[in-house]
Amino acid sequence: MTIGTPTDQPSRLAFGGLIDRRLPLRFRFDDLELTGYAGDTLASALIANDVKLVGRSFKYHRPRGILTAGSEEPNALVELRAGPRREPNTRATTIELYDGLAADSQNRWPSLRHDLLAVNQLAAPFLGAGFYYKTFMWPAAFWEKVYEPAIRRAAGLGRAATAADPDPYEKAFAFCDVLVIGGGPAGLAAALAAGRAGARVILCDEDFLAGGRLNAERRGVGDKPAYAWAAEAVAELAAMPDVTLMPRTTVYGVYDGGTYAAIERVGDHLPVPAPHTPRQRNWKIVAKRTVLAAGAIERPIVFGGNDRPGVMLAGAVRTYLNRFAAAPGRRAVVFANNDEAAATTADLAAAGVVVAAVVDTRRDVPAATREAAKAAGALLVAEGRIVEAKGGRRGVRSALIRNRDGRDMHLACDLIAVSGGWSPTIQLTSHLGAKPMWDEARAAQLPGALPPGMAVAGAAAGDFGLGSCLAEGHAAGADAAEALGHDRSSGAAPVADDEPAGLAPYWHVKDSAGKAFVDFQNDVSVSDVALAVRDGFRIAEHLKRYTTLGMATDQGKTGNTAGMAVLAEATARPVAEVGMTTFRPPYVPVAIGAFAGHHRGKAFRPTRLAPSHAWAAERGAVFVETGNWLRAQWYPEAGETDWLESVTREVKGTRERVGVCDVSTLGKIDVQGPDAGTFLDRVYANTFSTLPVGKARYGLMLREDGFVLDDGTTARLGEEHYFMTTTTANAVKVMQHLEYCHQVIWPDLDVQMVSVTEQWAQYAIAGPKARAVVAALLDPSQDVSNEAFPYLAAGPVTVCGGVAGRLYRLSFSGELAYEIGVPARYGDALIRAIMTAGAPHGIVPYGTEALGVMRIEKGHPAGNELNGQTTAHDLGFGKLLSKKKDFIGRFMAARPALTDPGRTTLVGVKPVEPGARLRGGAHFVPRDATVSSENDQGYLTSVAFSPELGHWIGLGFLANGPERYGEVIRAADPLRSADVMVEVCAPCFIDPEGARLRV
Amino acid sequence: MSETLTARPALAGIALPGRHGTGNGAPGVTLRERTDLGVVAVMARKGQGEALRMAVASAYRATLPDTARYLAGQTVGFVGTGPGQWLAVSASLGGGALAVDLTAKLAGLASVSDQGDGRAVIRIAGPRARDVLAKGLPIDLHPSVFAPGSAATSIISLMGVTLWQVDETPAYDLVVFRSLAVSFWSWLTDSAAEYGYEVVPATN
Repeated sequence: MTIGTPTDQPSRLAFGGLIDRRLPLRFRFDDLELTGYAGDTLASALIANDVKLVGRSFKYHRPRGILTAGSEEPNALVELRAGPRREPNTRATTIELYDGLAADSQNRWPSLRHDLLAVNQLAAPFLGAGFYYKTFMWPAAFWEKVYEPAIRRAAGLGRAATAADPDPYEKAFAFCDVLVIGGGPAGLAAALAAGRAGARVILCDEDFLAGGRLNAERRGVGDKPAYAWAAEAVAELAAMPDVTLMPRTTVYGVYDGGTYAAIERVGDHLPVPAPHTPRQRNWKIVAKRTVLAAGAIERPIVFGGNDRPGVMLAGAVRTYLNRFAAAPGRRAVVFANNDEAAATTADLAAAGVVVAAVVDTRRDVPAATREAAKAAGALLVAEGRIVEAKGGRRGVRSALIRNRDGRDMHLACDLIAVSGGWSPTIQLTSHLGAKPMWDEARAAQLPGALPPGMAVAGAAAGDFGLGSCLAEGHAAGADAAEALGHDRSSGAAPVADDEPAGLAPYWHVKDSAGKAFVDFQNDVSVSDVALAVRDGFRIAEHLKRYTTLGMATDQGKTGNTAGMAVLAEATARPVAEVGMTTFRPPYVPVAIGAFAGHHRGKAFRPTRLAPSHAWAAERGAVFVETGNWLRAQWYPEAGETDWLESVTREVKGTRERVGVCDVSTLGKIDVQGPDAGTFLDRVYANTFSTLPVGKARYGLMLREDGFVLDDGTTARLGEEHYFMTTTTANAVKVMQHLEYCHQVIWPDLDVQMVSVTEQWAQYAIAGPKARAVVAALLDPSQDVSNEAFPYLAAGPVTVCGGVAGRLYRLSFSGELAYEIGVPARYGDALIRAIMTAGAPHGIVPYGTEALGVMRIEKGHPAGNELNGQTTAHDLGFGKLLSKKKDFIGRFMAARPALTDPGRTTLVGVKPVEPGARLRGGAHFVPRDATVSSENDQGYLTSVAFSPELGHWIGLGFLANGPERYGEVIRAADPLRSADVMVEVCAPCFIDPEGARLRV
Repeated sequence: MSETLTARPALAGIALPGRHGTGNGAPGVTLRERTDLGVVAVMARKGQGEALRMAVASAYRATLPDTARYLAGQTVGFVGTGPGQWLAVSASLGGGALAVDLTAKLAGLASVSDQGDGRAVIRIAGPRARDVLAKGLPIDLHPSVFAPGSAATSIISLMGVTLWQVDETPAYDLVVFRSLAVSFWSWLTDSAAEYGYEVVPATN
């Protein structure tokens, strides 16, 4: 026996394998301190260390081991790493071993070996298919509080980390002529053929070592060992400039237009990702042609106790023996319905593992299998079956074998290598909706209609022989390159023999003793499928939902085919008729972090910074997000403890002296051309073609349906040049609207427009001292007196030594006010210059809160009022709707329902008790009416504490509003238990005549 | 008021000159804010396309591209950004000078709107420039597809971007909205750090 040279790896073979014995790696699994080698997976290292029990099952807490050697693994799920990096349900078969790796078994308590929750197995008769639906129906209220928490404690798999993932993730885009999915024999041959022909090739392989089963079988390609040929192929591909090899990368989704999603595990094989590199990278790959060479997944035969540790797929057994030099057992029984039995028996024997028996379900066992059994000294049981794998939590101890005459024998063994044949890995072919097709000869689902540009080669196409894989892969790669215009210069296809398959379908042992599992990860057994059929669920998709077959993180990769076959038997239909459940992305689990990529935390979405941002931040401003913009909300001063205190000071400072506010975030649109005036007349409800050059005007824009879209001021800078402003929130929407109107409705108009929101830094300077501050900023001999530059004047100026700027006499605050604009690069310098120029006048910077207070005091509508449900009439702007011209929304705005005088219209309200606080969102009901929806007459949209008036004020919409000034009504707020009597008034609280604007 | 206004680069205090990211050797890319460029939107007036072409040819010895390309003229280059729309770019006519010049020379033929302050321009150059951009730009930059003079308007990390390839280093100029420059820089440096990057002081 050659097992067990290094004492700490008792099941490591003495030689062979694609591992680096010079690089031992220490790792921990639960409380075991172990050693493996570079090139190991966690699974192979556990096998080398004789660890068989790896986890507990989802529902029954049955002991489970390692079934496979790939990403299809249903059983060997562990929690990898610890703390914020803890990653539950990680397949031990795909974890690349690294020094210091720490993994824990999951779904057990208190320990893997002594799992008290395994008592669930005693309840197994009650936990069958449809259990949740049948058992927890009543009383309904118990579901959330009693049943679900209890079930969640007992069932389930690993624990997610509770702290934020400290590692970065990325997204990336790639483009190629030919995408090759899978780096096994077919994939390598395809990539070589396409690459040699000069195509741009991307080869994605989910393993860290390309080669697929070339690394797992004792086969040859040409005159070389298969693994050596694979290494040479990889080296040749790596040397091609237009070939990109992507190891550790799984293509998990197919989308329209030749688009594929792939997850690259950049740093998963390291304890911590290298500095400045992500843990994983989520690729979007656009390919003109694709060769799917994803291979095939072996499926088990279903028999009693088939989930015990030590029951392993025959192909995986060969992988562990040949690639990893690790023996999964010392005394094996091989159980198969195909020619895998021969190779498996031979490989086990060559590794020194005793093969106690070869149990072949076929009536006529081929010579190769007979000879392999004979050479290994194994008992051959033809037309036999294993009715039960017996054992304990350490795994299989014996197999109960029944021969064709019904006679039983017990054979001691610690490994059952099982093969029920192979299922092509066709999931990706179905992601655009095509159904696979059942192939009776291969007893497998084969690809149906393929996504455009995709070809399937090798085992994924159901051609399992090594020779076929190489030939088909080569042809598919050469065809793809040729179809894209490359010369057919791919060289000769690599050559190997096809091994025999000899499959005779055999899905499950009907006379099994004990529970026989179809879906290991979700604990779905043959009896669950039978029960579902008795309950009336005969359709594949129904069976899936009723039993949870194939719904676990492995998506039934090993179990689905047998599950469908069992369903077919139970309903006396051919498997072809039962079909298969739908395959959807992702093919393997993908971490949410990979989908987020860069977009987490502050980078969740981009932030737009206003020109004064750096200055405001230096000043300690409190910022608020408005859309993507970050705007100064208020500027606290030393000693201020409450936002209202700061805001009140800013309002008073502005109204009594002068204030400055960054209004650069308002949308700004340059509208030019001979037809600019005509265009604006059509998009605004009021008229702009008559606006004199050098003047600005308030404008109201309607949607087609007659409701208000947006408002703002537009200035005329020249005969053919207007400068439009929009609200911050609607800047993009208005620009889209204007582009639509021009391109679709009136392409005949000679008008051009472009957003200049970002071009101009613009500051509002407001208050009685505003003129003095503005005059100090302007270069000499520019007259800003009321006579020379009256209310609503607009025009070019030069600022602070020759910077070309613009000045607008506009006021949102109701005070004497200007807006001054300079090119954005000077925005930072200008705010500092304004503060310097304003210092002698006691200037205060004010933020969006003070801006809001002052506009509410003036009754100017803003976002709360322009909410998409209000009309010009509602806002008191009815008279702005021009009767002399047509404009967007004119016709629909005249609909009776939109002009009904009973509609709610904009009013002001003030509390009857001066100290009472108003709350936005409160609903208006008549003074003595009960608070009910029948009595609802409108609602409060905006509230503010007015420093000038010394009490709260509000704006809102009230039925028949203008007729009710002076009436006392209730502003009821049942949500916050606030109920305030308010007096209705005109929606303007300060300087209603606008005298301050015109001084 | 005598105080004059100083221009502030969009990445002032954010793009810190020096070697960053992985390694200390030759960086994978260099990054530089181009504050020297004049950038102006030029939009053809109705029916003036041909006259505009001739005016541009005579004034700047430049050709207006019909597609998403960057065609350099003597002092001014033009990038196609849409039907009848271009960005005029000039390193010699910075600040507002380019807009003033274009407005005078293209009067009646095109609407001209200065964008030089509304955009931040970042030059990325170096052997790993394509790998950095691949982390956000959904466009194929392989030399067989995207060569010097190729241009595109697209999106990176949820931010609009116009870019063109400058030379075969490869070097690209990336034009983003000024208010987004800091967010864009965060994406760019996160993406470049893996290959090592060097920030070169902004050009004025």
